[in-house]
Amino acid sequence: MPLPSGTPTSDDLVTPAAVMLGIRRVFGTGPAALDAVDLTINAGEVHALLGENGAGKTTAMRILAGLDRPDAGTVAVGGAPVTEFAPRALRERGVAMVQQHFTLVPTLTAGENLAMARPRGRLRPPARQVRRRVDELAARHGLAPVPTDVPVGRLSVGEQQRLEILRALDADARLLILDEPTAVLVDAEAEALLTVCRGLAAEGRAVVIITHRLGEVFAGCDRVTVLRRGAVVCAGELVADHDRTSLATRMVGSAPAAARSRVVTASPGGAVRLRLRGAALRRLQPLDLEVRAGEVLGVAGVDGNGQAELEELLAGVTGAAQGTVWVDDAPVPIGAPRERIARRIAYVPADRYRRALAGPLSLADNLELGRGPTRRPPKPRREAQAAPALTEWDVRATGPGAPAASLSGGNAQKLVLARELAAERALVVAAQPTRGLDPEAARMITERLLDAAAGGAAVVWFGAELDELFAISDRLIVLAGGRASAPFTPPYDRAAIGMAMVGGHRR
Amino acid sequence: MTLTDPHPPKAPSGPDGVLARLLDHPARGSRTALVAVPALALLGALVVGGVLMAIEGVAPLSAYGEVVRGVFGRSRGLSDTAVVATPLILLALGITVAYRARVFTIGAEGQYLAGALAGTAFATAAPLRALPAAVLLPCALVVAVLTGAAWSGLTGWLQSRFGASVVITSLLLNYVAAAALAWAVRVGIRDPGAFTPQSRPVAGLPDLPGTEIHLGFLFALAAVPALAVVLRRTRFGFRVEVLGASPEVLAVNESRPAATRLTVLAVAGAFAGLAGFVEVAGVTERMTPAFATGYGFTAIIVALLGRLRPVGVLVAALVLAGLTVGFDEAERVFVIPSATVGVIQALIIVFFVAGDALSRRKAG
Repeated sequence: MPLPSGTPTSDDLVTPAAVMLGIRRVFGTGPAALDAVDLTINAGEVHALLGENGAGKTTAMRILAGLDRPDAGTVAVGGAPVTEFAPRALRERGVAMVQQHFTLVPTLTAGENLAMARPRGRLRPPARQVRRRVDELAARHGLAPVPTDVPVGRLSVGEQQRLEILRALDADARLLILDEPTAVLVDAEAEALLTVCRGLAAEGRAVVIITHRLGEVFAGCDRVTVLRRGAVVCAGELVADHDRTSLATRMVGSAPAAARSRVVTASPGGAVRLRLRGAALRRLQPLDLEVRAGEVLGVAGVDGNGQAELEELLAGVTGAAQGTVWVDDAPVPIGAPRERIARRIAYVPADRYRRALAGPLSLADNLELGRGPTRRPPKPRREAQAAPALTEWDVRATGPGAPAASLSGGNAQKLVLARELAAERALVVAAQPTRGLDPEAARMITERLLDAAAGGAAVVWFGAELDELFAISDRLIVLAGGRASAPFTPPYDRAAIGMAMVGGHRR
Repeated sequence: MTLTDPHPPKAPSGPDGVLARLLDHPARGSRTALVAVPALALLGALVVGGVLMAIEGVAPLSAYGEVVRGVFGRSRGLSDTAVVATPLILLALGITVAYRARVFTIGAEGQYLAGALAGTAFATAAPLRALPAAVLLPCALVVAVLTGAAWSGLTGWLQSRFGASVVITSLLLNYVAAAALAWAVRVGIRDPGAFTPQSRPVAGLPDLPGTEIHLGFLFALAAVPALAVVLRRTRFGFRVEVLGASPEVLAVNESRPAATRLTVLAVAGAFAGLAGFVEVAGVTERMTPAFATGYGFTAIIVALLGRLRPVGVLVAALVLAGLTVGFDEAERVFVIPSATVGVIQALIIVFFVAGDALSRRKAG
C-alpha cells in the first residue's frame, strides 16, 4: 500500500516484501491446492507458514519463487507485480527458496557451487578464492562454516542446507523461503538456524519458514500464517497473540489428540533380541549394544554422526567392517532382504522414497516387495489382497492400483509400515519414522511402533526430535562423532543429553 | 506436497542417462499417448519421407501405393513380412525385458551374431552334421540361446565386477562379434568347397504347413504371450519392474540388483541368440559375411515403438517389417534410393522421442 506522499517513513519499511492476492492453483482434476489465498510478507520479519501435509504451504511458496504459476490471483514482490513466473525472474527480484530436496551439484565443492550459481567472469575461479567466498559469506551472516574442501555430496544434510542458504544470500536474497528447513536437523542445529533467520531479518530481509513444528514458531518467528486444505485460516497474525493450542487447533481443525503417554518400563524383563559386539562401519566406531524384547531404544544425535551407518548395519543393508550384529542368536543377513524379512526384521528407512518405496509401482506392488510368492496371482486378485492392509493402515489413495509416488508423506510412511509391520517382528529398525508427517499421521505411526514393541519386538528408533524420543524410549543413546554415549534412562536429563550430542566433534 | 511429485526420479548421468530420459517409466503418461505417439511418429516419418522422395523426383503417393501393394497385393507379401518380422520380434522382446529393468544394453546385434555363429558352428561340426535335422536343430538352438545369454551376461559381469557401463561394453561387444563372424566364415567354420567365404549349409527350419513362413515365426508368436506372462505373473517379472523403478529399493527389500541385472541381461541375450539361429536355419541357411544386417539395432526401435510391451513389440515389428518388404518391392518400380527405409526408420525415432517428450510435458 503506498502511503500518502510526505509520510516520513522510508519506503522499505512500508512496502511489503511480497504480497499474494487471491491465489488459486489446481493440479489436474483434483481439488484446488490453493484457493483464494492472500498472504503478505513484510521485510524484516520471520514469517512462519504453518499447516498439515498437503495444506498447500509448499505450493504457495513455489509460486512466490517462480517455480510454479498460479491459475488465478496476483503476486507482487517489492511493490511491483510479478508478470513472469520463472525462477530466474524472481531470483533477480531477490526471492530465493531453499527447497526440501536440495539443488546443489553433489560432485562440486561448496565454493564451486556458489561460483556456478553466480559466475564472475568466464574462467573457472581458483580454488582458494571460491573457498574464501564461502567462509566470508558464512562469517558475515553468522552461519557456522561449511567444509569447503570436499564435494558437496559428502557433506551432512545440515551442512548442505547451510550451503543452500549461503548460496541464496550470495545472490543477496531479500526474501528467503525455507521449506521445512528443520525437518532434517536435530534440535541444536534447528536452534542455530532460527538464530540465523533472526539475524537475517534484522538485516532487513524477509524470511519465510515452512514448518510443522510449533516449537519453532514460538522460538523464532514474528508472524504466522496457517493454511488448511489450500485456504488461509490464520492470516499473518502476531505469534505473540497465540499459544500452542490455538495454532494447533487452526492447523488440524480441532484440538489435537493428546500424545499417548507410554508407560516406560525401567528394566524390561524380555530376552535380549538384538546384540551388537564391537560393530563398526565407516564413521561408526565399534559399538556394543543390547536391546531386549519389548524395549524401545532411542538413538539421538546430530545428523551425520553414525546414525546412517548404524541403520544400515541393523537392517543388513551393509555388513559390519568389524564386529558382529546378531538378532535372536544368529547374525543379521547381509544384502539378502528376503532372509531379513524371514528373520522378522522390519526396516523403516530414514529416506522412505529412496529405500522403501518404488514410486512408479502401485501400492499393491509395493506391499509385495520382499514378500510375495514366486508365482504371482493375477493383478485384480493382488490388488484385492492388498486392500485390507491399506484400509487397516488408513492409506489414503485412489486405490491399490495407484502409484506410490502419488501418496503424500504421511500416507507413504503408513504404506511402509503396513508392509514392514504386517506380521510379528523380532526387531524393528525405525529411522526418523515420523519425519515430515502431519501430527495425526505421526501419532498413528508412533502408536503402531510402540504396539510392535508391546508385542515382543526390540525397537530401535532413530529420532531427530528429543521430545519425541523422550516420550517413546525406554533407554536412549546418543551418537556423536561415531561414538555412542552410555545409555540414558528415564527421567531424561535434557541438558546432559544435549551435552552428549555436542560432545563428539565432527569428521 | 502430494500433487507436485516431490521426488522426481534422479536422472542418471553418463551414457545411461540419455536412454533413461528417453524411457521414463512406462507406467507414466496417459493411455492415449501410449498408442498415439508411436502411431503419429510413424505417420510423421512417412510424410517427411514422402517429401524427401518428392525431392528425388518420385511421386510419393504412388510410391507408397506400391509399398502397400508390395505387402498386401502379391502372394508372398505377407509371408515375407512375417519372415522379416521374426528376428525383430525375438530381439525386441529381449530388449523389452532389459529396458523395463532400465538396463540399457545395445548389444542385441552382437548377441544375435554370436548366437547364430555358435549355432551354425555346432550344426556344421564334423561329427554332428550327419545327425538328423530333427535332433540337430533343437540342439543347435539351445547352443545359440546359451551363447547369446553368455555374450550378454558378460556385460552384466563386467558391470558388477568392474563397474563398467553396460551401454558401453554391450556396444563394443557388437564389434567383437562382428569380427568373430568375419573370421569364422573365412577360417573357423568355412565351407571348404565354396569359393566365397561362407559356412557349410545348415539344415533349414521347416515351413509352416500351407505357407512360405518358416517355423521360427511360430516361435516368435508364441514368445509374445509367454513373455507377457513371465513379466506379469512371476517374481522375476516383478523384480524387473522394481529394478527399473529403483535399484536401491530392490536391494533393500527384495533381492540383489546385480543378480537381477545379470538375469535380465542373460534373458535378453537368450532371445537374441534364438533370433540369430532362427534366422540362419529359417532364411539364410548358412553364415556369410552379409549376415550382419543390423537387426539388433532396428529391434531397439521396435522395442521403443512397442512401448516395451510384448504385444506392442509384435505390432511394431510387423509394421517395420512391412515397410521393409514394401519398399523392397517399390524399389523395383521406382528409382528410390535403397537407404529410404533407413531414413524413415530414423525419422520414426526422432518423431517418437520428440512426441514422447511433448506428451509427457503436457501430462505432467
